[in-house]
Amino acid sequence: MAQKTAAKKSKKTTSVLPQVLWRKIGASYLLTNDSGHYAWLKEKDFALVTAGGMTELHPLFSELAVKGFIRNRLDFNDLAAKWKKKNAYLNYGPGLHILVMTLRCNHKCLYCQSSAAGVGDKKTDMNLATARKSVDFAFNSPNPGITIEFQGGEPLLNWEVLKGAVEYARKKSGTAGKELKLALVSNFSLMTEEKADFLLKNEVSLCTSLDGPKNLHDKNRICSSGNSHSDTVKWIKYFQKRCKKQVTEYRVFKPSALLTVSKYSLPLHKEIIDEYVSLGLEDIFVRPLAPIGYARKLWGTIGYDAADFAAFYLKSLDYMLKLNRQGVVIREKMATMMLDKIVNLQDPGYLDARCPCGAAIGQIAYNHNGDLYTCDEGRMVGWEGDDIFRIGNVFKDSYKKVMTAPATKVCVVSSNLEAQPACARCAYKPYCGVCPVYNYEVQGSLWGNIPSNDRCGLFKGILDTLFTLLKSPGNAEILKKWVTK
Amino acid sequence: MGDKMKTSLSEKKLILDNRIYCGEAVKLAAFVFSGRADIQIKPGKSASQVLIGARSSDLTAGDFMNEVLNQQCRIDLAKKNSKIAGIIVTKALLSAAGKKG
Repeated sequence: MAQKTAAKKSKKTTSVLPQVLWRKIGASYLLTNDSGHYAWLKEKDFALVTAGGMTELHPLFSELAVKGFIRNRLDFNDLAAKWKKKNAYLNYGPGLHILVMTLRCNHKCLYCQSSAAGVGDKKTDMNLATARKSVDFAFNSPNPGITIEFQGGEPLLNWEVLKGAVEYARKKSGTAGKELKLALVSNFSLMTEEKADFLLKNEVSLCTSLDGPKNLHDKNRICSSGNSHSDTVKWIKYFQKRCKKQVTEYRVFKPSALLTVSKYSLPLHKEIIDEYVSLGLEDIFVRPLAPIGYARKLWGTIGYDAADFAAFYLKSLDYMLKLNRQGVVIREKMATMMLDKIVNLQDPGYLDARCPCGAAIGQIAYNHNGDLYTCDEGRMVGWEGDDIFRIGNVFKDSYKKVMTAPATKVCVVSSNLEAQPACARCAYKPYCGVCPVYNYEVQGSLWGNIPSNDRCGLFKGILDTLFTLLKSPGNAEILKKWVTK
Repeated sequence: MGDKMKTSLSEKKLILDNRIYCGEAVKLAAFVFSGRADIQIKPGKSASQVLIGARSSDLTAGDFMNEVLNQQCRIDLAKKNSKIAGIIVTKALLSAAGKKG
């Protein structure tokens, strides 16, 4: 009887779902599906599965069945729940609200050289009335948790308004019934103990830019004092110290830093990572430079192609894994966000890599004059004189009008991966996203032309690296720890 | 791919087979480059003729053909995927506006 059942079982064949996505990496095939599951298959198994010849006795059958790759073994409730969890952002409105406190800056960084106004040009400062109106506007979002991020230019150049906006937002959150997070992105050069105290007491998380060791940082981030690196490092250490000495009245967050990878960074992955580690920073965001706004005009000097970045990214991750094996805590942020999707099947809130992208429906950029843009990159295009990504003004337009503005709609439609020919069939669709602003700036249309799109090349490089690393049990153990909640 | 390209110093002339590229794809591709090129489309029974004007020096015939192919693939994909694409867009926009989708 048992023999008869086994014989019957072995004859059962099945086929993969018609919408299964796949990509050949090296000699293996990576299979993914819309719920976010993935599986690796050798060439012969891939041929077997696609031909519908895999039997229940095959060693991979159970794994593929559980992950939703076997047509007659689908658990629709489970797969739908996973899809819903992974795409939870579809149920909320914009969570990130970027307030540009001023376009003035005391730095002339290579990648945004001319985008900042001169230090004395106060015309581009946000006034308190606009800041308050912007905070009110942000609280209109149906999202139960909102983050207000203060940036610039250098936001500390408009300190009194920044301070007023923080106080107003904290007061408003007391009655609005929403969770409020406040964040400041600053080069720290104008930080003082008094400002630091105020920010910490109001639970403002602090993020700065750190491009690596002194020589590289100061080459990328040119400032009038010539000491950008020293100022940054001094205040990172200060905030680290304050974080270690927690107080009972308020939470002190660990400071964080953002790395912008220019052409000059490419040979220095070790030095950059060592700099972060030496400052006790546990996360490093290996961010590619985008040819958007003024960086586009300087691309020949500071830019690079997707293959160069992919090589840099792989070397950086390899080195971080090596440090992790030695007991050093250092994580790569892009990897962490992607792994959250790949390993935990959940949305990490990364607005640049989701479908549709976060433009307007996930974030809004508030310019100094109250003009609203789909995102900060859209605002940069506006600063160049093209207001295609402007979606309204805090004084003139209602929240509803902004959410139904033509630029809002067209960004949602054009960043829908189901409408992008190359993306709809890509194995990385469950984890990736396109950027209409990038497409518009680089390729002349919001939809872009994905097969020849360098941003697509960047993301494919990053995801190829991550999936390949996940194949090795040793690396996988470390990478999974990065996203263990 | 059923298309022919003819280039000269003064203008570029492309002939696109209607069995492969529909008129809408050709028009959408021309629209993408409308800000930086003079493009003329002459529809025909079996093929469309596209003339890229002399002023449009930075636009190559290859760039234009890539864009026509991109647009044609988008149109073909929309025939299969428009329902799910529409559901996602509607849900995202309604939720952001504070309405239940």
